[in-house]
Amino acid sequence: MKTTGETIVTKDILVLGGGIAGIQSSLDLAEMGFKVYLVEQLPSIGGKMAQLDKTFPTNDCAI
Amino acid sequence: MLDVGRHPNIKLLAYSELEKLTGEAGNFTATVRKKARYVEEDKCTGCGACREVCPTPVIDLYNEGHAERRAIYSWFAQGIPSTHTIDPDHCRVLTGKKCGICQKKCQAGAINFEQKDTILELPVGAVILATGYDVFDPSRIPEYRYKEIDNVVTAMEFERFLSASGPTEGHVYRPSDRKVKAEIAELENKVRKSLKGLEKFEKDHGMTSAEFYAAHQNGSLNPTEALEKDRDKWLERYSAHLEHETPLLALKEKAKGFKSAKKLAFIQCVGSRDLRFYPFCSGYCCMHAIKESIIAHEHDNDTHSVIFGMDIRAVGKGFEEYKIRGGNNSNIVYKRSRVAEITKDADERPVVIYEDTKEQKVKKEPFDLVILATACGPVKGAGKIAETLDIQMDRFGFFKTDPANPLDTTRPGVFVCGCAHSPMDIPESVAQASSAAARAVQAVMKKTDQKAS
Amino acid sequence: MNKKNVSLYEEPRIGVFVCDCGSNIAGHLDCADVAEYAKTLPHVVYTKENLYTCSESGIGEIKKAIQEQNLNRVVVASCSPRTHQPLFSSSCAEAGLNPYLFEMVNIRDQCSWVHMGKRADATQKAKELIRMGVAKSAGLEPQEAIESSLIRRILVIGGGIAGLSAAQALSDMGLEVILVEKTPSLGGLLQQVNRLDTGKTARETLDEIIGDVRSRSNITCHTSATVQETGGYIGNFNVKIDTEKGMLEEMVGCMVVATGAVPLIPEGLFGYNGKTVISLMELEQKLAKNDLSAKRVVFIQCAGARMAGREYCSRICCLIGVKNAMLIKEKYPLTDVRILYRDMQMYGTYKEQMLWDARGKGVRFDVYSPENAPVVADGKVKFFQTITGKTLELDTDLVVLSTPLVPRKDSAALANMMRVPTDQNGFFLEAHAKLRPLDFAADGVFVCGSGRYPATSTEARTQGIGVASRVAAILFKEKLVKSAIVAEINPESCVGCKACLTMCPYEAITYDPGKRICQVNEILCKGCGNCAATCPSHSAQLRGFKPDQLLAQIGAA
Repeated sequence: MKTTGETIVTKDILVLGGGIAGIQSSLDLAEMGFKVYLVEQLPSIGGKMAQLDKTFPTNDCAI
Repeated sequence: MLDVGRHPNIKLLAYSELEKLTGEAGNFTATVRKKARYVEEDKCTGCGACREVCPTPVIDLYNEGHAERRAIYSWFAQGIPSTHTIDPDHCRVLTGKKCGICQKKCQAGAINFEQKDTILELPVGAVILATGYDVFDPSRIPEYRYKEIDNVVTAMEFERFLSASGPTEGHVYRPSDRKVKAEIAELENKVRKSLKGLEKFEKDHGMTSAEFYAAHQNGSLNPTEALEKDRDKWLERYSAHLEHETPLLALKEKAKGFKSAKKLAFIQCVGSRDLRFYPFCSGYCCMHAIKESIIAHEHDNDTHSVIFGMDIRAVGKGFEEYKIRGGNNSNIVYKRSRVAEITKDADERPVVIYEDTKEQKVKKEPFDLVILATACGPVKGAGKIAETLDIQMDRFGFFKTDPANPLDTTRPGVFVCGCAHSPMDIPESVAQASSAAARAVQAVMKKTDQKAS
Repeated sequence: MNKKNVSLYEEPRIGVFVCDCGSNIAGHLDCADVAEYAKTLPHVVYTKENLYTCSESGIGEIKKAIQEQNLNRVVVASCSPRTHQPLFSSSCAEAGLNPYLFEMVNIRDQCSWVHMGKRADATQKAKELIRMGVAKSAGLEPQEAIESSLIRRILVIGGGIAGLSAAQALSDMGLEVILVEKTPSLGGLLQQVNRLDTGKTARETLDEIIGDVRSRSNITCHTSATVQETGGYIGNFNVKIDTEKGMLEEMVGCMVVATGAVPLIPEGLFGYNGKTVISLMELEQKLAKNDLSAKRVVFIQCAGARMAGREYCSRICCLIGVKNAMLIKEKYPLTDVRILYRDMQMYGTYKEQMLWDARGKGVRFDVYSPENAPVVADGKVKFFQTITGKTLELDTDLVVLSTPLVPRKDSAALANMMRVPTDQNGFFLEAHAKLRPLDFAADGVFVCGSGRYPATSTEARTQGIGVASRVAAILFKEKLVKSAIVAEINPESCVGCKACLTMCPYEAITYDPGKRICQVNEILCKGCGNCAATCPSHSAQLRGFKPDQLLAQIGAA
């Protein structure tokens, strides 16, 4: 990864919780080129939002 | 969600917990326990064949306890990773009984009852806490009788009712009616069995059990030798049969009158804005109630909803407009009131007792279903997380931050976002999540900068 | 990697892989029969039934067959392309086959799952779906991913708390920032604010941040400057900035809109006169100057908001009202302070706590309904007290109108110039209300702060920092790589009718008046195919979905 002037050694980042917040953080970090460990205590990620039928105001499907 | 499972830079450790965090910003070591699934992640394809043959039913918490899953399960149908998991508390093999049907069924050879927890030591530069929240347990409010009245449910339970993939396939049936239907199914099963037990007698003696019983009662039974021999047993079995059939017929009669719930009451601030429990506001529940009433109305245009709240906090982009639309098009009435009590009438209907602040009168109103907007509180075990990470909590039990640096916890290099920070809705969580990611990157980069210089 | 460069004239050698998906597919149709049938299709040289094509062994089979059978097209008949296409096409690439020569057929969601219990019919349909897929694949062409350079410099428009926070965060991440502020000073709306809900003065907070921003070598601040023109696309925007030193032309990789919003001046509302009836912002100034002499103060919330013509709730006015009510009570405990409100929007933890604390300090709260709104006249506020059902008349020295933030007058022009949308209220419209609050639909352009929707200073700061993440997710990459599935326009047959141009939702098509033809910008094109469907001369075509490919597929149906 290059930034102004110097090359920087990256470090991995730990994200605790695989709900919508943890997922968004992980994706942003991963897209920035950082290695992410995403730790979720349940068998699948998705969190509370995965339990929702639809979301307002657009009434889109939550998953 | 899918992108997370596929992204080459993300190592997904589901069914895992953080046990320890040592070191400092830029140079932490995280100890993570990866719990045994008893299913090998690299072999399981998530096809679900194992689940179909598993004989052990378990209450499904994804569906808020309104459905059953099996002891081998995926958390929900589209879950990532799709790897199934064996519940060690319920699986017959793992509780020392005989079974192993899933292992035989699995064509991928993924089931491994010998699997053990693994401990991982991960060198990381920063930590983002996105541990979310847990909802308030409404049974702590005695006057709402959540435990006693079947047709008082939480907003999340109602969400599952509305979902096409949920326990009622999107139909809003009253839980008390579903209970009766379950009883009917159980009795039908018993009646089927008891009828089988009567079959041989009926065939041998050429009359129905009812005819036999009537004849026996009025003494007109023609006592052949064979009948004499079977009489007591037949009588015994027939009365046992009636014991199931009579209530079954009564329940079936009752079930004829069952309709889906059309008159809904949403009660806001259950456990929040309440000095006995959480003094704060959960932020998202007013909109959640409005959304649920709009969706319920979409499913069935005869649905009418009343939302009881002290304020309707439609505080977000497009939210006020959505609220007005709900009132205009989806039969929603907003009532400014804090509900005092919920009782029940003879037809299992919850009765809401409240003060109508507009008319300054105490009113009682029955509904088909009452939906409680249970507060968004700190996650269970927040204290333990704080201890593990050595960070402070705020007075409300969420992880402490400073308004000038809204993503930073009290430990450098550890950041927080979403409802672990404080109650908030989805777009706010997403915006915060991006910010926490930026802070984490800065923490890692600064550290390397200093090292370089 | 030695990618097979398949020429169109090379005879197609198609491999078909039929997935059982355990019992998901094989349970409802005869996969062996389907695979056997696939052998008979034109150009098919190899077929294989897999228990799970997506498993490691299934993928291994595909790779092996590509090499051993010299396949130049691969068709997998399995589940949803949404979940599995990336896996299969990248596996093809790993085996040396151009990934665009892969075609997927969905015989699960579109066949076995919807025809359960009709085994013969489902089997027949699966055969037909595969026949179509094979026919299409024969005409597929190899494609190369599109690459483009990235300029690691960001334009931030707006020097308020959101823009400053974005600039700080981007600079922290080693990226270069050009910050453009229209007024002569940085700080935005907070410059008019007295004390923040955090207890600090707004000035202290701002000075700290502005000082830091000014000291950064990788942030260039232009005050009294405006952006005049923007062009280009993600990674390579060219912008013209009118500064005090003259017109500057710069190239930037991403752009951030942080232009904020302005408080409504409540002309004509509740007897506003700027003296005894003032706005919240005027109160902030009074408190900052310590010149409050009123003994009886009434706040009226939602003054000019949540009404016909301005339906939205401005989110932050309740907080500001309560904050100021408490400040008055702290400084002048004998002053009578009352807040007339419709709904107290004190969401979250500490705001609700403020509401408890304000009551404790003696601030009184009364609900009013919009049908029965308060009337301000001759030093009195007349209002209907819902809770008692009585009309009250309060003697008042000072009425404070809590007015909403409204979009800037020039935000429509800015939106137009930058080709980003605004919502029905005139605020900037993000890509997705729930999941992409900081992005515009246009790639490489972002939004934060009150320009999107009113935000507290903490929220605006959070969003500003968040934008840095969204930007870095693009600019930390070596180069921009995107799918080759984009439209192309044949310059030989294009007649320049511009039908495609009007249909393109991404403004990816431009008209070249010299050559009199339309052209596609591959970076902006999202491959939706609108232009291809519109073009009367079939000059516009979508790669991977060209008429001959689709017609072959339809012809095989």
